[in-house]
Amino acid sequence: MISKLRAKDRSVLEYLYDHYSSALYGVIFRILKKEEIAEEVLQDVFMKIWDRFESYDATKGKLFTWMVNIARNQAIDKTRSKEISKNSKTNTIEKSVHKIDNKDFVEQRIEEIGVKDILRNLTDDQKFVVEQLYFQGYSQSELAEEFNIPLGTVKTRLRLAMQHLRNTLKVI
Amino acid sequence: MNIEEYISSGILEAYVLGELSEQERIDVEKNLVQYSQLREELQAIEETQEQLLMSAAIKPRIQVKDSLFQKIDQQKPEAKVVPLIPEHDTGSNIWRYVTAASIIIALVSSYLAYDYHSKWKHTENSLTELIAQNQRVAKDYNVVNQRLDKIENDIKIIDNPAFQRVIMKGTDNAPEAMAYVYWNASSKEVYLSIQSMKELSKDNQYQLWAIIDGKPVDAGVFDGNVAGLLKMKAIGTGAAAFAVTVEPRGGKLTPSLETMQVMGNVKS
Repeated sequence: MISKLRAKDRSVLEYLYDHYSSALYGVIFRILKKEEIAEEVLQDVFMKIWDRFESYDATKGKLFTWMVNIARNQAIDKTRSKEISKNSKTNTIEKSVHKIDNKDFVEQRIEEIGVKDILRNLTDDQKFVVEQLYFQGYSQSELAEEFNIPLGTVKTRLRLAMQHLRNTLKVI
Repeated sequence: MNIEEYISSGILEAYVLGELSEQERIDVEKNLVQYSQLREELQAIEETQEQLLMSAAIKPRIQVKDSLFQKIDQQKPEAKVVPLIPEHDTGSNIWRYVTAASIIIALVSSYLAYDYHSKWKHTENSLTELIAQNQRVAKDYNVVNQRLDKIENDIKIIDNPAFQRVIMKGTDNAPEAMAYVYWNASSKEVYLSIQSMKELSKDNQYQLWAIIDGKPVDAGVFDGNVAGLLKMKAIGTGAAAFAVTVEPRGGKLTPSLETMQVMGNVKS
């Protein structure tokens, strides 16, 4: 009886892992860009999902949204602790070099998995916001500050981008 | 609150990304409870995000899963069960199992609770959709029913031997035109059935005339694009022929004969 239940509760997590680990890993890997670190974070994320499962409230949003937020936050925390990614903020020359590197890298990754196709119909501004927020680990306020865009504009651009995507994804 | 404006500010996208301050988040959640339009929009945004990230998925290496579940299996007995068991009670293993079982049952039932909740939500949505669909079908049914009633009435008239059919053929003005008059000499009722008459401009209308004792008598006006039988003005006895002219909207007292479109004699 007990072993059966134990098997079952584990199977809940296994179900979540089988269905969503790739999507979460896509987010984590793009933010961290290093396989070993990204894998470690993915495991931490699932441990967290496991530990905090009771705190998920279905009336406030989808389970997927809840999990993505855990993944995104965990990955962003990691960039800060390991000083991997965006810590060249103070140095403008480094920053621009870094930006170029990042851009090429992301475009290359995106091409690999067909995301580029999905983002194809967005304007450059919209594409930029989606890439930075979802695949570079920027928060909206960081993005506004670093690229000198008003926060309200960041929000409405993401809104427009998501509306476009809603149509594009429906067709696909 | 202007919901359209609220939505277009992008606040729901920021909410989905978990980017709002505590206060903003509480406000959004309050509004979500109040406005179903916001809930629908939120759902659409979440689905878009899910699809976007699903299509951006990267499969982690297989050993990641194994090592994750090893960690979970190790963590479970110590972290979750042992601290809840009183130290002195080592003799009775049964409590260890009972505690473990109750925690597991709690976990499983909270999973089931959210699962059922989302299923219930889904069902509720489908129900609303079905109700709307049902209302549309009922509306369509009414329209069809009304048309059927009209057609039934038309058939009664066409079938009634008291009604004489007068075929009006196109004149030189409109060789293609054709219309029928169904005329009941005793009840004096007149019905018109358009077979083929071109549409007129907004300023003009067709006018039906009965020729009684060599004089045209007004039998009412009509537009060119009506299906089924049209009830016209009742006329006196002794009509020898019917004709249709084009007149200014509303009709005239005397026909503009030069505009005559169709004409037909009553068979004696």
